[in-house]
Amino acid sequence: MNKSVLAAGVAIAVGAFAGSAVAQMKPEVLVKQRQSAMTLIGKYFGPLGGMAQGKVPYNAQVVQRNAGFLDNLTRMPWDGFDPSTKGAKSRALPAVFNDNAKFKDAAARLENEAAKLYQVSRGGDEAAVKAQIGAVGKACGGCHDNFREKQ
Amino acid sequence: MLRKSPAPAGLLLVGLLLYASVALAQGDPKRGEYLSKAGGCVGCHTEAREGAVPYAGGRSLKTPFGVFYGPNITPHPQAGIGRWSEQDFIRAMRFGVRPDGAHYYPAFPYSSFTRVVDQDLRDLWAYLHSIPQSSRPSQPHELRFPFGWRWLLWGWKFLFFGPGAFVPDPGRSAVLNRGAYLVQALGHCGECHTPRNWLGAMKQDRFLGGVKGKDGSPNLTPTRLKKKSDAEVKDFLLTAMTPDGDVAAESMGEVVRNTTSQLTAQDLDTLIAYLRSLPPLPEEPK
Repeated sequence: MNKSVLAAGVAIAVGAFAGSAVAQMKPEVLVKQRQSAMTLIGKYFGPLGGMAQGKVPYNAQVVQRNAGFLDNLTRMPWDGFDPSTKGAKSRALPAVFNDNAKFKDAAARLENEAAKLYQVSRGGDEAAVKAQIGAVGKACGGCHDNFREKQ
Repeated sequence: MLRKSPAPAGLLLVGLLLYASVALAQGDPKRGEYLSKAGGCVGCHTEAREGAVPYAGGRSLKTPFGVFYGPNITPHPQAGIGRWSEQDFIRAMRFGVRPDGAHYYPAFPYSSFTRVVDQDLRDLWAYLHSIPQSSRPSQPHELRFPFGWRWLLWGWKFLFFGPGAFVPDPGRSAVLNRGAYLVQALGHCGECHTPRNWLGAMKQDRFLGGVKGKDGSPNLTPTRLKKKSDAEVKDFLLTAMTPDGDVAAESMGEVVRNTTSQLTAQDLDTLIAYLRSLPPLPEEPK
């Protein structure tokens, strides 16, 4: 009896230690950091969306630069969705944690589409770049559909 | 001789009248194409995959009552609606009734489409009859017990469905009436942006008040919209993006691609003006 209680105690302690790299961070801080990554994704994706839809004149240099930023930025938000942030104030829906496999799929999809955009942006095919910008947008929206409170 | 002349003239007149009425009754497919975009028909009636045949059906719609599949509405005689008459189509849209008399589930948003006016229905019909046929068979819905019983819909309709075409309010401007028509009838915006009761009917006193939660959608009344300028709203409805590069959820992204970005600038203005004229409703509690 005592042994099993002890074993459970040790297991909990080890578990807590193993997760400490992130767990040390306050949930509110993690939320703020992941939101910052999202804000910057918006900053660098916005003009590309405008170009793909013909609202802003196409500029290959800006596309290439922003696509490079996005290739990195789109990999940043996800470790901020730590289970400890479940109760923190944000627009993230419980599905992020309850349906985590699907959430990770959606995140990976954005990473892949953004990486592809960077590849395509280094070629000279404007139509292909615009189509890929659309694919990135759909990846953003696809995740927002299921995992972010609409407001 | 003199007495004979009125006859051909009369015949000619009758002929002209007949021609005129036939011409009126015949829908204009070009106009219908625009109306179909304004109605976003292609969304539910097309599979959600790259290269899917438009209007050939297949989109799934998950609801608390089960999963609905949009049917094939191409003019294919077996798989689609090729054997329908114009009257069958008008009845389906106005009354939510199949040609064989059975009731449609309100997943087909006839609560909104009933408000589409006759001439627009004829034009839509002419357009749907002009698109390429697809033999893709429609999928049966997968509904929870007891919702598979279509006859139950008789009761639902009795309680919640008020058929009738949109009638412009003479007390409001043409702009607001046009906007109201686009939003309430063809656009069927309320189907997602209005909370529903436990039997899936829209709460009319909360029209466009928004829905909270996973399958939620924002409040479209001035409560929320007053924070945004006309230009911002218009930009959003053209691009599905806000000025800071935030991308709308894909369910709305699709509506923007299929519908709002396809509207004429004038129609888009009336739509926004109408939303601004709505009574401001407080946010739905979570």
